Amino acid sequence: MTLAARVEPHAEAAAESYLEHGRGPRSWLLTLDHKRIGVMYLVAIVACLLLGGVFAMVLRMNLWRPAGGLVSNDTYNKLFTLHGAVMIFLFVIPGIPAALGNFVVPLQVGAKDLAFPRVNLLSFWLFVSGAALFIATLVVGGVDTGWTLYPPYSLESARGLGILIALAAVFLTGFSSILTGLNFMATIHKMRPRWMGWFDLPLFLWALYATAIIQIVATPVLGITVAMGFLERLFHLGLFMPEYGGDPVLFQHFFWFYSHPAVYIMILPAMGIVSEVVSVFSRKPIFGYRFIAMSSIAIAVIGFFVWGHHMFVSGQSRWANVIFSFLTFLVAIPSAIKTFNWLATMYKGAIDLKTPMIYVLAFFAIFGVGGLTGLFLGSLATDIPLHDTYFVVAHFHFVMVGAVLTAFLAGLHYWWPKMTGRMYGEGLGRLSALLVFVGFNLTFIPQFFAGVAGMPRRYATYAPAFQTWNRLSTVGAFVLALGLGVALWGLLASLFHGRRAPANPWGAASLEWTVPSPPPHDNFETTPRPGKPYDFSGLRLVSEEAGWVRGAAEVAR
Amino acid sequence: MRPPLDGLAHGLLAAAGFMPERASSVAEDVDHVFAFIFWLSAFFLALIVVLTVLFVVRYRKRASRPEPEPSPSHDTRLELLWSAIPLALVFVVFAVSTRTYFRMTDAAAGAAAPLRVQVTARKWSWWFDHPGGKGAPELHVVARRPAELVMASTDVIHSLYVPEFRLKQDVVPGRFTRMSFTPTVAGTFAITCAEYCGTDHSRMTTQVVVHPDQASFDRWAREGVAPAATLVDMGRRVYAARGCIGCHSIDGTPRVGPSFKNLWGRDEKLSDGTSVRVDEDYVRESILKPGAKVVSGFANVMPPVPLDEREIQGVVAHLQSLREAP
Repeated sequence: MTLAARVEPHAEAAAESYLEHGRGPRSWLLTLDHKRIGVMYLVAIVACLLLGGVFAMVLRMNLWRPAGGLVSNDTYNKLFTLHGAVMIFLFVIPGIPAALGNFVVPLQVGAKDLAFPRVNLLSFWLFVSGAALFIATLVVGGVDTGWTLYPPYSLESARGLGILIALAAVFLTGFSSILTGLNFMATIHKMRPRWMGWFDLPLFLWALYATAIIQIVATPVLGITVAMGFLERLFHLGLFMPEYGGDPVLFQHFFWFYSHPAVYIMILPAMGIVSEVVSVFSRKPIFGYRFIAMSSIAIAVIGFFVWGHHMFVSGQSRWANVIFSFLTFLVAIPSAIKTFNWLATMYKGAIDLKTPMIYVLAFFAIFGVGGLTGLFLGSLATDIPLHDTYFVVAHFHFVMVGAVLTAFLAGLHYWWPKMTGRMYGEGLGRLSALLVFVGFNLTFIPQFFAGVAGMPRRYATYAPAFQTWNRLSTVGAFVLALGLGVALWGLLASLFHGRRAPANPWGAASLEWTVPSPPPHDNFETTPRPGKPYDFSGLRLVSEEAGWVRGAAEVAR
Repeated sequence: MRPPLDGLAHGLLAAAGFMPERASSVAEDVDHVFAFIFWLSAFFLALIVVLTVLFVVRYRKRASRPEPEPSPSHDTRLELLWSAIPLALVFVVFAVSTRTYFRMTDAAAGAAAPLRVQVTARKWSWWFDHPGGKGAPELHVVARRPAELVMASTDVIHSLYVPEFRLKQDVVPGRFTRMSFTPTVAGTFAITCAEYCGTDHSRMTTQVVVHPDQASFDRWAREGVAPAATLVDMGRRVYAARGCIGCHSIDGTPRVGPSFKNLWGRDEKLSDGTSVRVDEDYVRESILKPGAKVVSGFANVMPPVPLDEREIQGVVAHLQSLREAP
C-alpha cells in the first residue's frame, strides 16, 4: 500500500522532511512512518481531550446549584460516564505513549522506525475505531454506567445496545494499547545501535518500557473482562450477575486488576517526560539515573498487586483489605525516590524557565498533592469514610489529570519544535502554564474539602452544605479551560508564525536532537553513535536561530 | 451540628470545622489517623514546594550564572536514605491505620447484645427492619448500644454511608454484607448512597435516628406495628407456603432435613468433614444452592428454592425466632 510512497521521485532529497515526504490524505492515513502516525495520534487524542473537556464543563455547570437543573439526572449520568470513558480510554492512556512516544521512541533509540510499522498503523486505526464506537453510543442514547462499568447495574437488561457498543469500544482501544506497548518493547530491545547499552537509554524510554510491560500484561485482562461482560449480557452465563448465579464483586477484581495498573500506564510516561525536561532545563545530568530507571520498573511490578484498594468497602475480607493496604503503601516509595531525584537534579543547576520547565514545576506540586493524598486512600481507617467521595475524585484528578496533563503539555512544548519545525511563542506558553496551574488547583482542591465533608461522587444533585466547594470548583474549571485554550492557541499559531526551529533548540543531548527539525523521513542517514543521553558538556548555544551545537566548545575554550 | 473547635491536634480540617461531627465510637480514632497522615503529607508537600522554589530562585540561569556548578550525578547513600525514610514512615502509617481499622470493623464485638437491623437497599430507597418487627424507611439505633446492620440489595450495588460515623459499606446483591458501629451521640444524621446506582443515586438519601436511650427506641418500635408486617411473620408464611415445612420441622425432630429449632448460630458439621456456622450467608446458600454444603447425616436431596431477597431475610428472621435463649 505504500509502494507509491516508496518510489517517491525525490529519492535524492535527504533533507526533505517527513512532513513533505508524500502528499495527499492517503500518504497520511496509510503511512507507516512512526512520525506521521504520532502526529495523527496527537490530533486524535487532542480532539478527544476537547470532547471530554466539553462534557466536564457541562457537569461542572450543572453542579453550580445543589438541585442541578441544567440537565436531567439521566443526562448527567451519561455525561460523567462519557467524560470518564473518553478521558481515560481515549486521552490519558494513549496520550503520552501513542502520540509523543510514537514520534520520539525511534528517534531516541537511533532507529529509522518502530520495530513493526504496520502494527503501529493497525494500532492507530483500532484506536480510531474504538473512539468512533464511543461516539456511536451517543447515537443509540448513551450509556450511564460510569466508566467503571460495574455490574449488575451495567449489565441490566434495560441498558440496551449502548453498553454492548461501549464494551466493544473498550475492547478495541485495549488492543490498540497492547500493540503500541508491544511495538515499543520490541523497538527498545532490538532496534538500538549495538553500542547503546540499557543505561544509555534516555529515561523517557525506560518509562515507556515499564509502561509497555503493564500494557502487555494487564490490558488483555481488561479485554477478557469486557468480553465476559458482553457474553453475560447476551447469553446470561452467570459470571457477574447475581440473578444468573454470578458474582458482581468478581467483575471488580478483574476490572481493577487492569485499571489500577492502568493508572501507571498513565503516570509512568509522564514521569519519563519530567526526567527529560528537568535535566535539559537544569543543564545538568539527571541525578541518580539508575534509581529513576529502576523505580519505573518497580512501579510497573508492584502496581500489579494493589488493585484491591479500590474494593476496601466492597465486602471483600478484612485480611484481603489489610494485605492490599500494605502493598499499596509500598508502591508509594518509587514515586518518592523519583521526586527527590528530580529535585536533586535542579540543585546547583542552571535552571532555564522555558515553558516545558514551568509545566514540570507545576507537575512537582500537583503530583506531590496527588501522591500524598493517595496515602489517605491506601490507609484503611481513612479510606472507609473517604471512599467514593469527592476526596477520591480530587485525588485521582490530581494524579491522572493534573500530573499527566502538565507532563503531557511539558512534553508537547518540548518536542513541538522537533515535530513541526516551528518554535512556539514562550509568552503564550508560559501564560498557559500559569493558567493551567491556577485553574487546576482551583478546580480540584475544593473537591478534597467536599469529600472530607462527606459528599459522595457521581452525584447530579447534592446537599446545600456543599455548595461553596462546588462553585469554587466550577469557577476553577473555566480557568483551566482557558489555560488549555491558550496553550492550544499558542501552539497552533506557531505553525503559521513560529520561528523556524533549529535541530537542537534546547541543548539536549539525546539523539532526536541530532537530526533536523522536522526530521527527514528516514530519521538517520546512517546508524548514529550516541553519547550519554544527559551529557551536556560540549554543547554550545550558537544563536537562537542556529540552536545548540556539539563539538565547537573545545575550540571556544 | 458542628462540634466545638478541638484544637490543632486533630488537623487543620477538623479544627476549622470542615469535618463532619463525630458521632460513633470510632470517629475520633479515624480523625486521629487522618490528622497524622495530614501533617505527614503537609510536611513532605512543603518540602517539595520549598525546595523547588528555593532551587529555582537560587540556581536560575542568568547572565552572571550561565553554567551549572559541579555537583555529583548520583549519590547511592543519599538515595538509599531517601528511599528508606519514606518506607519507614509508610510502615508507621500502615500500622496506625490498620489498628484503627480493626477497631472499626469490630465495633460491636464483645459488647452487650447488638441491635441487629436488616437493611434492604433498592433503587432508590432504603428499608430497615428493626428488632421487634418494626420496618421503617429510616434507621433507628440507640446511643451507646452497638448496632449491627445485615444488608442486602434487591437490584444493584449500593453503599450505605454515614459521614458522622466515619463508616461506609457496600450493599451487594447476591450476598449479605455487614456493618457494625456504636453510635455515641443522640440525634439525626444523613445516610447517603455512595455507590453509583442510576438515575436517582444522588437522591437515595435517608437518615439514621440515634435514640438517647433504649426506652425511647422501644417506644418508637412499638408504635403502629401491624404484626403481619414483621419479617418473622413473612418467614413463617414462606416456610409454610414454599415447601420448607415438608422436610424441616420446627420442634427439633430431624426429618429429611435438619430441624429449624435452635439451628440459628449453631456450628453444623458437614458431610465433607468441615463445619459451618449457620448465619445469613449459609442460609442464603442453602436455599439457592442446597447441594453446596450438606449437613452430615442428611442426604443431598433438596431442590433449589428461588426466593427473593426479602423472603430470604424473612426465613432468617424466622430461624432467629426459633432459637431458644442459651
